Amino acid sequence: MNKELLKTLQDLVRLAAEEYGDKAYIKEKAGTAIIEKSFNDLYDNSRRIASCLTEKLGGEKVHAAVIGPTSYAYLAAYFGTVINGNVTVPLDAQLACDDICELMNRADVNVFFFDKRYEPMIAAVKENCPQIKAYISLQPADCADISISEIVEKYQPTELKNIAESDLASIVYTSGTTGKAKGVMLAHSNLIDNVTCQDNESSPEDVLLTVLPVHHVYCFTCDILLSLRYGATVCVNDSMMRIAQNLKLFQPTIILLVPMIAQTIYKQIQTVSSSKGLPPAAVAQAVFGGRLKGIFSGGAYLSPELINNYLELGIPIAQGYGMTECSPRISTASFDEISTAGDVGKIVNRCEVKIVDGEIVVSSPSVMQGYYKYPEATAEALDSDGWLHTGDLGYVGDNRRLFITGRKKNLIILSNGENVSPEELENKFAGKSIVAEVLVYAEEGFITAEVFPNSEECPDADDAAAKLNEMIKEINLTLPSSKTIRRLRVRDREFDKTTTRKILRKQSYQGDIK
Amino acid sequence: MFDQLKELICNYVEVDADSITEDSRFIEDLGFNSYDFMSLLGELEEILEVQVSEEEVIKLSTVGDAVKYLESLKK
Repeated sequence: MNKELLKTLQDLVRLAAEEYGDKAYIKEKAGTAIIEKSFNDLYDNSRRIASCLTEKLGGEKVHAAVIGPTSYAYLAAYFGTVINGNVTVPLDAQLACDDICELMNRADVNVFFFDKRYEPMIAAVKENCPQIKAYISLQPADCADISISEIVEKYQPTELKNIAESDLASIVYTSGTTGKAKGVMLAHSNLIDNVTCQDNESSPEDVLLTVLPVHHVYCFTCDILLSLRYGATVCVNDSMMRIAQNLKLFQPTIILLVPMIAQTIYKQIQTVSSSKGLPPAAVAQAVFGGRLKGIFSGGAYLSPELINNYLELGIPIAQGYGMTECSPRISTASFDEISTAGDVGKIVNRCEVKIVDGEIVVSSPSVMQGYYKYPEATAEALDSDGWLHTGDLGYVGDNRRLFITGRKKNLIILSNGENVSPEELENKFAGKSIVAEVLVYAEEGFITAEVFPNSEECPDADDAAAKLNEMIKEINLTLPSSKTIRRLRVRDREFDKTTTRKILRKQSYQGDIK
Repeated sequence: MFDQLKELICNYVEVDADSITEDSRFIEDLGFNSYDFMSLLGELEEILEVQVSEEEVIKLSTVGDAVKYLESLKK
């Protein structure tokens, strides 16, 4: 694809159809069958959805939330929105109904695309989000105004508006240190820059198995958008339970993983190898389907040890680094140049990095426009010259290799790449009379709440622990499973404080695990 | 079913099969991570030729819960 012609996501979908035509873009399971959708299908269906949106909203600017696991219908909804200058708001499929409503209201959502599994919450959404004018289900559902398949049947492809590369394409929520999710505004130019900043990353012969959540920009840019650019086929992993089966079924050549999954698959390869007396490299070939060229890893830190372990299996694993605010890639690695020096890859083209007081600060055409309706947070992240303050500490080594040494922010990064804001969880304890002070952190991979109980309310320590465990059970019911509190520590003295009486985050753990 | 599950669990985490009871919790006691756990259920789905529901699976906490759930699918 001629990247000089590529300015917007509209260009990307159109050029992919022109260049790759009826070749399979998406393959997904439907019962025991595999359904294929081509690049032409996506361009055609997106324009039909755009036509429907124009009719339903009477030409009003659309902010369309999309929620559900990866599917062709999800992608058609996404591109049907952005292809005509409208804005998508991809939402985390694990969110509870109240959070979904709150985020949609804050993003001025007026169209809701939802997977059928969200049908039970639609009545509550209608009550809490009165500004939503169209409910569109990704599969046929009674509570929807229309479904994607009905749109494709009833509407004709619309003539598309001219859109500017500076137009907003997507508002993507990311966890913030303040506990309030921030809507990262990504323009067409931001996403397109990230898709075109490197070359020769893939080809029409490539087959990807997409396993990561599609609302994450890492998955969206690297699985979905890069495959449009290069004409690769994306196979949908229908469940985290079935990665092993789907690797054998689709035989991918490239796969994007987070370190936790890479680590687990490695462990399984070793177990099978030793129990069956087979060479690990042969087992790895069988596990990954026999055609794998390499793995891209992102979302969390990948240890050099695991990179080496995979190299011994004959599989290069390339580590990158980025953040939603940068569409997301800041650095990346290629399969023919795997480093085990502990870096997170080379800084991508057109991206400049400087280190300010130890912090990685980035300037690039991929950097966001700001946080939606949140100027205070935008001013903290972007300085007056548009440099993005990542909150990560690190340095640049030889050859533009980037090294991360720590996180300035307090965000808990779980090994599966999920970001959890400790303040958000601590806020759940607010107003509980039994809790005097609380601090949330990750300990041995578990989200841990350390509590100093209110001794007047509950003088007996065991009694306090029992009550706190009950309280945590209730709090966990309001949280997505990745954010649930798994461990409780009960302190017998208050936390050390700063001079302004704020609890010091970095202090030794106290109290037994209860 | 319980014995079959115990044997499979040992392919995922380093535990002594004899130490696994029906009350053992996958994550807290046996050291599973969320991906191990989902893979185990995926493997069982294939072995037992049943259709496992992701929504139901995430509610399972102990080995006993999993045995009960899988047995209900076999009926």
